[in-house]
Amino acid sequence: MTYNLGISKIDELIGDIKGGTNIMMIGPPMSGKDDITNIIAYHGLINKNAAVIVSTREPGTNVLDWFESRDLSIPSEHIGIVDCVTRTLGFGAPDTENIKMASSPVDLTGIGVKISQFFERFWMEMQMKETRLCINSLSTILMYSNLQTVFRFLHVFTGRVKAANALGVYVIEDGMHDDKTIVTLKQLFDGMIEIREKDDGYQMRATGFASKPTPWFDYEIDGVNIILRG
Amino acid sequence: MMKTGIPALDDHLHGGIPRGKSLVYYAYPGVECNVFGMQTMYRAVSEGGRGIYVTSSTDPRMIRDQFAEFGWDAAEYGDRFVIVDGFSGLVGANSSEQYVVSTPDDADSLTQAIKQVMEDMDEPSVIVFESLSTIMDLCGESATLDAIEEWNQYAMLYDHVIVYNFTAWPYSEDTLAHVKGDICNSVVLIGGIVEKVIFSQYFGVKKTDWDEVTKKCTLYKVLKPGGVRVYLPKILVTGPFDAGKSTFVHALSTRSVSVDRLGTTVALDYGHVDHKGFTADIFGTPGQERFDPIVKLLSGEAMGIFLILDSTNTGDFVRAKRMLEITESMGLPVVIVANKQDLEGALTPEEIRRELDMAHDAPIIPVVATSREGVFEAFDVLVDRVMEAGSI
Repeated sequence: MTYNLGISKIDELIGDIKGGTNIMMIGPPMSGKDDITNIIAYHGLINKNAAVIVSTREPGTNVLDWFESRDLSIPSEHIGIVDCVTRTLGFGAPDTENIKMASSPVDLTGIGVKISQFFERFWMEMQMKETRLCINSLSTILMYSNLQTVFRFLHVFTGRVKAANALGVYVIEDGMHDDKTIVTLKQLFDGMIEIREKDDGYQMRATGFASKPTPWFDYEIDGVNIILRG
Repeated sequence: MMKTGIPALDDHLHGGIPRGKSLVYYAYPGVECNVFGMQTMYRAVSEGGRGIYVTSSTDPRMIRDQFAEFGWDAAEYGDRFVIVDGFSGLVGANSSEQYVVSTPDDADSLTQAIKQVMEDMDEPSVIVFESLSTIMDLCGESATLDAIEEWNQYAMLYDHVIVYNFTAWPYSEDTLAHVKGDICNSVVLIGGIVEKVIFSQYFGVKKTDWDEVTKKCTLYKVLKPGGVRVYLPKILVTGPFDAGKSTFVHALSTRSVSVDRLGTTVALDYGHVDHKGFTADIFGTPGQERFDPIVKLLSGEAMGIFLILDSTNTGDFVRAKRMLEITESMGLPVVIVANKQDLEGALTPEEIRRELDMAHDAPIIPVVATSREGVFEAFDVLVDRVMEAGSI
């Protein structure tokens, strides 16, 4: 069981990503991490993977809109969103087929339960054995819970991703946390997608997948495509 | 005794939780746990008692909505449904609750609010902690363990029952041993059966200090509405041709489907039952001999069996016994459904017992499946037998 990110040049350089891999995506604000995360999920969806997206910054409906506005043909029943935002805004929205509500980003127990429920549904009911879990973002969770708490949570769920041969992508804001936090969390991941600001734009590279990092690439996001240059 | 609101669990606890005692729902990460505490709280207030819900990770405005999702209308219980708000202070929001923890990440501040609410209650009440693990994350493991001891002692003083939802994240071994061991009077383990993913959930009592522990794990599902329901993944319905198996499955089920041709089942009947705190999936077999391989196939991993008989047709009783053999059900709980009791010439259960040469304690239930008479009595008896057998 292998995965690709859907970012062509980087996929070519790092080769197939084996099932059970957990990836940290770290980059500065406004660098398009939300889009990149969704594109990685989208790339799975068009290849018959399921996608579980934990959203801590956008209501679940917005995340679903992102997919539907770009490609109506994707099977929305293959998307599961854990919404950590709507209920903190005071809206008593019930769970739907695609969106399960966690109480807040503090509610790691609830977030964990909802992730497990989507995994169970995709695996057992829909017989979909390839699943991408995207947590966007750990930085919001770290705003409410201390590092040790988040580490415990991730320790469990990176393990579940491994056990299920899934692909995990976890987003972190660069510059928002101290070095100790990043170094501690890095231990849990098998590879990284790093994003940096360069001149008037942004660059990305992948590290940890081969003996040396890929080169830095300028990139541009166009719909559901990430166009690399350089 | 205060009931937990989950009948099977109350049985395992020998009637419920005695006043002044504490209980922890100790759950593995990813397994639904909070609903246990909520159901215990709901049971208390719906029986005329008081319930206090200590929230740590949910906006109090959402708590009542969460109860409503399970069909439990908190608003109906007025001031008997009390919330201690240990969340708003964490996110800097205002609270309209009477009891507010000013500094939720300080165990002393929490203790102050808990003690206050315990003192204010004019009758023994149930206090439910939404998430002890969140409190532990905020206040630290050691401070929380100390606080739990203090809360438990205070609850004992006022005869309150205190209940914690706890998710066993990888805390230190000492902390987990304390929570699972000696800090509360009772521990109910809530776990998941894992094969790549969690595909089934169970609960079982690990410890009580007021009676002997009934060592049993019980599968459950969480329904909305409904809450925790004991789950029987497979109950088999078998019996000779034209005994009324499909009618029985449909009579018992909240939803059902049959694969049939010309009015007779050629593959299977499937139904889902939700009754008295139990939920079950029922599989009905065909009755004709040419489908016997399907009967054998369907019977794998069944937890209990209904053998359906046409009470007017003794000629088929030999075939009925043969079908039990085909299911390889030796040792499984079996309930014999003496169907068609409304027809002339129907044998009584005792006459059927003699015809079949069944043991005196083998349950034979008179049923008229077409009018659902006796159908749920038969289900109750089988569930009791399955629970007694400890097969779940």
